[in-house]
Amino acid sequence: MTTTTDPIVDVPVRKSISVKASQERAFRVFTEEIDTWWPRTHHIGKVPMKKQVVEGRAGGRCYSEQTGGPDCDWGTVLVWDPPRRFVFAWQIDGQWQFIQDVDKSSEVDVRFTPEPGGSTRVDLEHRHLGRHAAEADAIRKAVDSSGGWGALLGLYASRVEQAS
Amino acid sequence: MITYHEAQLDALGDATRRAILERLIDGPLAVGELASEFPVSRPAISQHLRVLKRANLVTDRAAGTRRLYAVNPAAMESLRQYFDRFWTQALTAFKQRVETRPPRRKR
Repeated sequence: MTTTTDPIVDVPVRKSISVKASQERAFRVFTEEIDTWWPRTHHIGKVPMKKQVVEGRAGGRCYSEQTGGPDCDWGTVLVWDPPRRFVFAWQIDGQWQFIQDVDKSSEVDVRFTPEPGGSTRVDLEHRHLGRHAAEADAIRKAVDSSGGWGALLGLYASRVEQAS
Repeated sequence: MITYHEAQLDALGDATRRAILERLIDGPLAVGELASEFPVSRPAISQHLRVLKRANLVTDRAAGTRRLYAVNPAAMESLRQYFDRFWTQALTAFKQRVETRPPRRKR
């Protein structure tokens, strides 16, 4: 099959950051301890998030425990290779719904590489964003509109600081 | 009058329209080509494309005698920008956390 993909569609988002921590610690905090840093503003459930959980194995669930509600799935572990690499499917659509089919969701690939001096470089790639194209403009509008995610951000911001 | 945001929701609320949009991610297509791949009539495809276009999710352009429909690059770019901002925020929070040793005195 010939690929005639619009070049803009499939450009991944790439981010790198260097952290003053060992490879093992960086990997552990990113995954097992995801609840200690994951932005509270990004959450698909209808009620406040209690805890973020990543199950440490290929096929493991990524989900939020919610206050007074059922767990809220948002991803699936695709590659589990501690302390080097962690890949998960991003199964959230623009209307905060869970996407059942992994093939219809985007993918986040995170690599941890030791650097001289004991730090670790974290390279993150969020790819196949084109699979969320149906939500693209909805996301922008929601983010821009005061009644959309902006309002949710405000709501959560006021509740956040109990996390430690 | 239907608002812009309502147009969005309306556009995405239909399974065929979502499927059309997903198909267009693979590359621009004309109405006839889309019609041959979906179990709906060509006028119905045209109608779906009008809704998607009104919602700013697809664009069209003339290519000879055909009219090609494609995913709106601006919509995709805004999606990228959204995730770019999200990961900047998330990785900053991660860095702060991973570089902070848990307080040992606390029990």
